Amino acid sequence: MLRNLLALRQIAQRTISTASRRHFENKVPQKQKLFQEDNDIPVHLKGGVADGLLYRATMFLTVGGTAYAIYQLAVASFPKKPE
Amino acid sequence: MNHQTHAFHMVNPSPWPLTGALSALLITSGLTMWFHFNSMTLMLLGLLACIMTMYQWWRDIVREGTYQGHHTPTVQKGLRYGMVLFIISEVFFFAGFFWAFYHSSLAPTPELGGYWPPAGINPLNPTEVPLLNTAILLASGVSITWAHHSLMEGHRKHVIQSLLTTIILGIYFTLLQASEYFEAPFTISDGIYGSTFFVATGFHGLHVIIGSTFLTVCLIRQLLFHFTSKHHFGFEAAAWYWHFVDVVWLFLYVSIYWWGS
Repeated sequence: MLRNLLALRQIAQRTISTASRRHFENKVPQKQKLFQEDNDIPVHLKGGVADGLLYRATMFLTVGGTAYAIYQLAVASFPKKPE
Repeated sequence: MNHQTHAFHMVNPSPWPLTGALSALLITSGLTMWFHFNSMTLMLLGLLACIMTMYQWWRDIVREGTYQGHHTPTVQKGLRYGMVLFIISEVFFFAGFFWAFYHSSLAPTPELGGYWPPAGINPLNPTEVPLLNTAILLASGVSITWAHHSLMEGHRKHVIQSLLTTIILGIYFTLLQASEYFEAPFTISDGIYGSTFFVATGFHGLHVIIGSTFLTVCLIRQLLFHFTSKHHFGFEAAAWYWHFVDVVWLFLYVSIYWWGS
């Protein structure tokens, strides 16, 4: 809960870009400020809400996939005997 | 707030080694499911999880280096050692395939007709597309060197142009090689010739794609102002990798395409 509040605060601090379409604006200083904020959030979650979603999706796929792999192993280990 | 009194990088705990390892499990068990049980689900799941892990892991390294300043000269030295050791391991990987090629081609068995290329094999003409591919990769080596010098001299536009040139040459190589694969009169199952040809050139092609991807990431980072004229190790690592890919091709061209025909 607190993590989500901290993340929300970080998003509110993001400046909206007004860079023209053809030229890139140097946003590195803003990123440096965001990622150096002293809030104890680990780097893989420090970018905002999207980080958390991507992390959860990755964990879901890997842990879920591992469970599925073990299930398939169990199925393959006990083949149905032909009558 | 605590401040470190040393130059090293104590990383935050990260979930990516775990998700990476699990994705490797899913890819390998997925291959088994595909080969023996006619199902691609597990393998695709593994590949997706692997790509997501790579994206987030490398994204975090960019955050730690460019945004948080953790890549001190000491840390950068470690990263350099790491990249060098990785490329050396890749050299040994390819050495195996060259060993296989030379083992079979230096002493062709009676089953092959006692000569190389074996009976029934029409090899590709080395002076046609393979020679063009050689020129393309050599040119890309020149353009990436131009990019590096432009970066060190602070010429932003030249870096973007020359890096783009390098990437386009890499893509051109890949497209030409894909067309060669399609048109080749022999396949991977055409005896030891087919095996050594397609496995060695195939893995090389994969490395060209990896290298092109690495260069594209560098282009994006250059556009986003991540690199400075003094600190741009990500670019240097990509350049080293690209030169390695070029050198492997030169060995492939001389050994398999030219001598081997």
